[in-house]
Amino acid sequence: MLKQDPLQYRELAAKAVQDKQLHKALAKMRDKVGRNAENLYNQLPTGAGSRQAAKDVRRKIVDNLDVVLETLAANIRARGGHVHLAETGEDAVEYCLSVAKRHQVTRVVKGKSMLSEEIHLNDALEAAGIETVETDLGEYIVQLKGEAPSHIIAPAIHFTREQVGELFAEKLGEPYTDDPPTLTAMARKALREKMLGANMGISGGNTACAETGHVTIVSNEGNIRMATTMPRVHVVLLGIEKIAATLEDHNILLRMLTRAAAGQKISTYVSYVGGPRLPEEPDGPEEFHLVLVDNGRSRILADPDFREVLHCVRCGGCLNVCPVYMAIGGHSYGSPYCGPIGAVFTPLTQGINTCHHLCQGETLCGACKQVCPVDNDLPRMLSLLRFKLANGDRSWNVRPHSLPTKLVFGAWSVLMRHRRMYDAMRLLAGFCQRFLPRKNGWIRRLPGPLGGWTRGRDFPPLAKKSFAQGWARRDTTRRDA
Amino acid sequence: MSRIIERVRQALGVQAGDGRDKLVFAKSDDFVHCADVKVTAQERDGWMESIRTEAQALNLQVHECPDLDACGEAIASLARERDPEWGTAKQIMRWNDPILDGLGLETRLGADIAVKSVPKADSFSQSERQEFRREIIASYIGITTADYLLADTASLVLLGGRGRARSVSLVPSIHIAVVPRSRMLASYRQMLSLLSAMDLPSNVSIITGPSKTADIEATLVHGAHGPREMHLFVVAS
Repeated sequence: MLKQDPLQYRELAAKAVQDKQLHKALAKMRDKVGRNAENLYNQLPTGAGSRQAAKDVRRKIVDNLDVVLETLAANIRARGGHVHLAETGEDAVEYCLSVAKRHQVTRVVKGKSMLSEEIHLNDALEAAGIETVETDLGEYIVQLKGEAPSHIIAPAIHFTREQVGELFAEKLGEPYTDDPPTLTAMARKALREKMLGANMGISGGNTACAETGHVTIVSNEGNIRMATTMPRVHVVLLGIEKIAATLEDHNILLRMLTRAAAGQKISTYVSYVGGPRLPEEPDGPEEFHLVLVDNGRSRILADPDFREVLHCVRCGGCLNVCPVYMAIGGHSYGSPYCGPIGAVFTPLTQGINTCHHLCQGETLCGACKQVCPVDNDLPRMLSLLRFKLANGDRSWNVRPHSLPTKLVFGAWSVLMRHRRMYDAMRLLAGFCQRFLPRKNGWIRRLPGPLGGWTRGRDFPPLAKKSFAQGWARRDTTRRDA
Repeated sequence: MSRIIERVRQALGVQAGDGRDKLVFAKSDDFVHCADVKVTAQERDGWMESIRTEAQALNLQVHECPDLDACGEAIASLARERDPEWGTAKQIMRWNDPILDGLGLETRLGADIAVKSVPKADSFSQSERQEFRREIIASYIGITTADYLLADTASLVLLGGRGRARSVSLVPSIHIAVVPRSRMLASYRQMLSLLSAMDLPSNVSIITGPSKTADIEATLVHGAHGPREMHLFVVAS
């Protein structure tokens, strides 16, 4: 399901555009979270400067990532934790498997982690015969259904309550209901057993604090605290860029994160976990592993034009305001990272040519930049990706995406710069357009390769008299002073 | 390990040991001293008001008590009223903390409801840990204190350590926190500033209300995987 294929993108998007149910659900996220975010940012003591303040902190960290990483690793180790830096997704998966094997793990309970989706961890664990249970309610629903999450924060937003009721009736053997509190109670019961009977917990992390040696995880459901407290082994997966240096950094970062992600001042739980339980503690994990995953991030870091995308705190805020995401939903993107952030991050990690449809599918309207808690200029990076696709770029191994398109736009550019040629072409086109089929004065179908334009919409014909002609013949005698 | 750090350095075009750590880990004076301010009684009243307001939206029930005795009585009657969510036996697990000793729950509830406290020891064997695990799973109420109570969000800050098991605020269906009024702080930032000056335990939990989810049609439901009911007792003295 999660693969990069322009045909699949087009197909899923075309289907989603017709899905009224999906649009209703996403509109809830837009109204509850997306439209509220800026207001909530401005209520912080930093006021209208909050996004910039968070940006400055993220920039400081990413620009000095080597120092922050080294300090974090040293301090986690000093607490008795293990730290592994994984170069690739496979490397990270292999590490998790080896820890699981060493402890003869039979069941893993998971806290929500986009990174684990990125590296396909669940499949690998299941293939090794380890039962793998998602414990976030949304992720659990999606896993029971055998689907992928469709929103970074609300993975099952595309489900109706009736669909969840049917799913639970089928998979959990519970009587059918469409009442969210009753459905939540069913999952609470089923997952409590799973969480108390697991030997290993795997979670993501929202950030980390290098100076104290902690990983910081926020959640509302309490599933992450369960998965990181009750099993014998706790493994954290974290992208190398997602960390922070000091507790002072956390002040602005965490407060912006929960506001952007869920419209909350703070989430129910903010947990700082570093290392295994201390000898004087009767509970908590006996072993603690932090897996820091590169998987293409250091390559992004090396390009100053795209380094900014690593400032992202994965709040999913840009999804809630994006007109494209709102129309086509998360599944169309074929990646755990959907919406505008996915349209930049996925091509950079999976190949710009392979994922050309993602950056070409966005509108560049700028809503994502406006809502971003770290003021990431995603529209700029989307344009730049398109530029590389048009012209090719050796440093990113991009070949020009389409030679015909390049030729057409090259010709257009020449035409626009030469008045006489332009006028001649206009006359010619004005003559030719008479032969094209029309409806209500609009052109229904353009010929040849231009036909793609009119497959889903009509095209306005050239005006009888051009603006330049009108301007030249304007009545100059009646000009107002 | 070092290979990836090396690659990160190359990507950034920087050298190791060039003194950037000073800049990266620098703290602002304002942050370091933001919790030093002297608090007036009036300000504390304002904080309490803010906690009450925040708590309402969170489904967190706030009780104010003049002393530990009144608090103990209130908790005892709450414990009698509530039924266990899992199983039928009523058992309470509490942190091993002098404040909670002062509630006198063991005598108040007597034989009806078992009140156990987290064992204090320098280390725990495998079987002792298993035993504690059984006890916490069998408890329908968990009672803790909190190191700080944050006025701007009605959040509790719980530092782990001896006698302060992390599962007490997590596994039982009802979490009760007893916090002296003097432990109130104005903001999250003040709390971070104080934590910044100490040796932190391996676990710090900041808790704001009972667990909740909005994963089904973005409808808010209280009681997800953590406690479904939460009470905060603020004790004046």
